[in-house]
Amino acid sequence: MRARAQRLLAHLLLWFSVAVLVAAGSLYLDHDEPHGGAAGQHLTRADWQETLAPGYTTPPPRLDSAALPPAWQAVALPFNPAIALLRQAESGAGGARNGVAPAVRVSWFKLAPEQPPAGAGTLALYGIRVKTDGTVAVYINGRLAHRAQQRGPLWNSTRTPLWFTLDNGPGAAPVREILLRLEHSDASQTALSSLRLGPVEALRAPYHVRLWLQQELPAMLSAAFMAVGVFALFVWLRRRHETAYLLFFNLAATAFLRGLHFYVDLPIENDWFAWLTVNALFWLVLSVHFFLCQLHRQPLRWLTRALVAVTALIGALTLPGLAVLPTLPTVTPMIYPVAALMSLVACVVGGTCAWRHSGEGRLVVYGLFACTALGVTDWMLQNNVIGAEGWYLGAYAPAVCFITFGTLMYRRYVDAIAEVERVNAGLAERLAAREAELEASHHRLRQIELRQTISDERQRLMQDMHDGLGSSLISAIRSVERGNIGDARVSQILKDCLDDLKLTIDSMEPVEADLLLLLATLRFRLEPRLEGTGVSLLWEVRELPTLDWLNPSSALHILRIVQESIANILRHTRATEIRVGTTAVADGVQVHIGDNGGGFDVAAALGHGGGRGLQNQQRRAAAVDGKVGWNSSAAGTTFTLWLPLKPRGQV
Amino acid sequence: MTPASHHDPHPIHVAIVEDDPDFSNALSLVVENAADMRLAAKAGTQAQGLSMLAGPPADVLLVDLGLPDGSGIEVIRAAARHWPSCSIMVSTNFGDETHVMRSIEAGAAGYLLKDSSPSRMADEIRSLANGGSPISPIIARQILARFRHQPAAPAHGQAAAHGEEAPAPLSQREKQVLDYITKGFTVHEIAGLMTLSHFTVRTFVRRIYSKLKVSSKAEAIFEARTQGLLS
Repeated sequence: MRARAQRLLAHLLLWFSVAVLVAAGSLYLDHDEPHGGAAGQHLTRADWQETLAPGYTTPPPRLDSAALPPAWQAVALPFNPAIALLRQAESGAGGARNGVAPAVRVSWFKLAPEQPPAGAGTLALYGIRVKTDGTVAVYINGRLAHRAQQRGPLWNSTRTPLWFTLDNGPGAAPVREILLRLEHSDASQTALSSLRLGPVEALRAPYHVRLWLQQELPAMLSAAFMAVGVFALFVWLRRRHETAYLLFFNLAATAFLRGLHFYVDLPIENDWFAWLTVNALFWLVLSVHFFLCQLHRQPLRWLTRALVAVTALIGALTLPGLAVLPTLPTVTPMIYPVAALMSLVACVVGGTCAWRHSGEGRLVVYGLFACTALGVTDWMLQNNVIGAEGWYLGAYAPAVCFITFGTLMYRRYVDAIAEVERVNAGLAERLAAREAELEASHHRLRQIELRQTISDERQRLMQDMHDGLGSSLISAIRSVERGNIGDARVSQILKDCLDDLKLTIDSMEPVEADLLLLLATLRFRLEPRLEGTGVSLLWEVRELPTLDWLNPSSALHILRIVQESIANILRHTRATEIRVGTTAVADGVQVHIGDNGGGFDVAAALGHGGGRGLQNQQRRAAAVDGKVGWNSSAAGTTFTLWLPLKPRGQV
Repeated sequence: MTPASHHDPHPIHVAIVEDDPDFSNALSLVVENAADMRLAAKAGTQAQGLSMLAGPPADVLLVDLGLPDGSGIEVIRAAARHWPSCSIMVSTNFGDETHVMRSIEAGAAGYLLKDSSPSRMADEIRSLANGGSPISPIIARQILARFRHQPAAPAHGQAAAHGEEAPAPLSQREKQVLDYITKGFTVHEIAGLMTLSHFTVRTFVRRIYSKLKVSSKAEAIFEARTQGLLS
């Protein structure tokens, strides 16, 4: 439900945005839409002639067309005479070098509206393009009505439509004659589109659309591309290893430079701005080439060298100071084809390299090709190859670049987000799997540990019962069956068995690593047996450090060792006193059991087969990494059990 | 606090709940042979033991835990209620921690090892009747651990507020007695070390047991409250 609501909201937002844009556009254009429908009078025929002049002059305020030579030729509008490019360039370059003012020609166009425009109000004259490298003056009925390019052409002149208004008040004479005076250099040519004469309201919309599409929109797109380029620059500053972002910034910057001349109104001169404008085109091509190389990952050394060399050469030749090739409108038509050629070569070679394995490379090649095509149409329009009413599409080359590289960035961005999401999902999945695995393995380990513990415990008890309780009971049964044993003896054997059993049970009580508690328990169990034997037990224990390794198994070993020791004293000596003491030594603890009996030959007892009890003590002591020793004299025997503070594995 | 005497005009009345006829007879014999004791009653099952409690109270009650129709723990609990003046003793084969601690918590004041000699049995009964209690090192350690782990359980405050017996913590001397026991010293040796009579040491143990009983009861109430068994 929530997801659907969100989707619905997103759609609403999208359509609302589009609707706002459409509404804004239509309001802008339909503002003065005439209700009559006729967009003024369309003037497509003119009389044309050229005159020579010694230099550029200011147009006089009044001019009678009858005063001009009667050499009029009827021409159709748009008018775009062919240009002898070489001659034009030569004169342009020569003129710039020699510093001599070249001869000037004046192209005259005489147009006569067929009938006076209908309706009163302000009239406007609108022409899509007037191209000349000199001044423009328009006379209505012999009176100067409009001037442009007083100081020669501006950068945006060819993209600025002709537009001016005429006062058509009640007393004003109807427009009978429109005379255009276009000055231009000797070898260059003019071009003129058809003109429209009509009410301002009717002509404003087409004029604004022209102006917007040829100047304002390219400026906006160029600025947008530049902004994205700056963004890419900041990305590169943080990720220096990704040169593509730097190249993107370079592309944006050169495209911005190149785009400036479409809308700035600086006068065209052989200066640094012109130099930048012309060379930016070469840099743009070079930049795209490098970008392509990044995409298809082939160095293309020779091509790169050639492109760099050409670019550098053009840059050097067109330097404003040197002026070998001045960057004047008369000369540039010869330079631009070089750029177009470079671009095509880069396009073909890069495309061949990228075709198979880089979709992005293909996209860039398409983009470059489109830009080249746009540039070529611009060139053709500029040089009168196609009609003067055509569109300057080159202004959209930065836009194409923007769309192309924006698509690349968009793809990378979306892919990166998807990748991050995929990685995150994978990570969570792997983590969950790993956790489950760990849990399972932990469970298995616990099971194994438990089984091992049970098995160890069973083995320990089995061993203990086998050695102690079991064998005592069996020998008691044999003795009873043979009948050579008294009741008192049977009772004693059974009591010993019960003591054994009690110690086994005690070994399983939690003693918390306390050896004294273990010895205390032993005393508690054995004390009743000492009653009536006439033997006194002297308890001389001291505080001991804890033995962390004490577990039921080692506890039972220790209990049995001490039990055996006391039993031996009771069985084999005439001692009247047993002393039990404990001491802490450097690396362990000691339990001493002393008696005042007769003493015995330790070596003989150990070597002798009869010393099974002593050997058992040794064996059990070894099982807990401890040691046993006897110190016997006629006064008595002292038995010592040494136990380590830490088990052998941890020392 | 009067020591036992064979010419005591008030003999110790002993009641027995024991299903093993051999041990029951051995016990009866011990009681009958002692001049200062009288066998007051005998029961072989839990049911008989419980109905016996309706009669006049004995001084010492000997209870076996493994009765054919139920646990002796119930008998101990009921006896502690019906015969508050009676000293209850659990008879056990091994004197192992689990059985003895449960019995003490139910209200027993001591335990009797079944393999003890007759004279020792008589001594134990006498000592119990006089307000003393036996103890083993492992049980001493368990009690120390128990009191160490619950010095300020929340149940204490609540029990006090309800006017019940509040479980008092162990006194310094009581702790000292337990500590000596865990190191293997006998009651006589401890009496010497602490310059007390051995009888006083045994009464210390009795007091410790009653504290353990109260504390375990408070603990049970607290447990029940936290688990929502009691409102």
